[in-house]
Amino acid sequence: MADPARMIKPEVKAERAASAHEERPKSEGSGDAAAAAKPTDVNKESSSQDAVKEEETSETAAGEDDDEQSAAKRLKVDPEKKKERRQKVDEDEIQKMQVLVSSFSEEQLNRYEMYRRSAFPKAAIKRLIQSITGSSVSQNVVIAMSGISKVFAGEIVEEALDVCEKWGETPPLQPKHMREAVRRLKCKDQIPNTKHKQILFH
Amino acid sequence: MAEEEDEAGYEDELDDGSGGVDAGGHGKRKRLFSKELRCMMYGFGDDQNPYTESVDILEDLVIEFITEMTHKAMSIGRQGRVQVEDIVFLIRKDPRKFARVKDLLTMNEELKRARKAFDEANYGS
Repeated sequence: MADPARMIKPEVKAERAASAHEERPKSEGSGDAAAAAKPTDVNKESSSQDAVKEEETSETAAGEDDDEQSAAKRLKVDPEKKKERRQKVDEDEIQKMQVLVSSFSEEQLNRYEMYRRSAFPKAAIKRLIQSITGSSVSQNVVIAMSGISKVFAGEIVEEALDVCEKWGETPPLQPKHMREAVRRLKCKDQIPNTKHKQILFH
Repeated sequence: MAEEEDEAGYEDELDDGSGGVDAGGHGKRKRLFSKELRCMMYGFGDDQNPYTESVDILEDLVIEFITEMTHKAMSIGRQGRVQVEDIVFLIRKDPRKFARVKDLLTMNEELKRARKAFDEANYGS
């Protein structure tokens, strides 16, 4: 069956970069993902357009100085140019994502909504980390850790789906697919393991 | 394989050991992330109803991952504490996770600023 989350992997990586904030409105109790996505997208686009206009005006001002001044001023222009280019690239990505999402089928929309909205509960993660460290941790640590864990889970599921496909079987993933995925990822060093210390030269 | 069961047994010891020895090995600790992981697996491409055993395996893997990262973070930077900089340092080699953490933290800062500005605007009016 078509799998939007996997097929759009390269765009998704960048899209996570561009519109990660779309997950936040959910925590503030917004309704349907599609309805929430459109207004926040519009907001972000208008705000990033404003930001781009600011960048352009500041850049032309710096450009005039540059003609008269030294290399020091020239260095100041380049990072601004890069920031402007990056924002344009972000906008392109956002537009492409909007086009893509608008052409999703019902089932794909469901899956995409689950992909964006699912997250680990912060309280449980905080409790887990604190039970290991014995001292309290800041909120940013919990945010970072739950984000990385979701990416980690995604890597395993994707690898398991590859394994499943390679073995000519169909989706509901079985434990044997998961274990083979873990074995493969261990070979690629994607799974941290500090339990076994390897002594190179004995 | 046996590897997974050993690792699950390891974490059960770390947790607030619920009494009694369970021959199954996995079942000692309550499942922390069952609901969320089901949604997540569906989102990442699995079936709408993933197998419970697969969800269990994934939960054990995630908990082990968090445990490993926490232990590593405690051993670098400021000893005995887990700080964001340590996590970012540990994840530096993995492009996906690194980008994700950077984005999350940036977005969090932006949201905090936006909320603060919004609250001040409300307070003023």
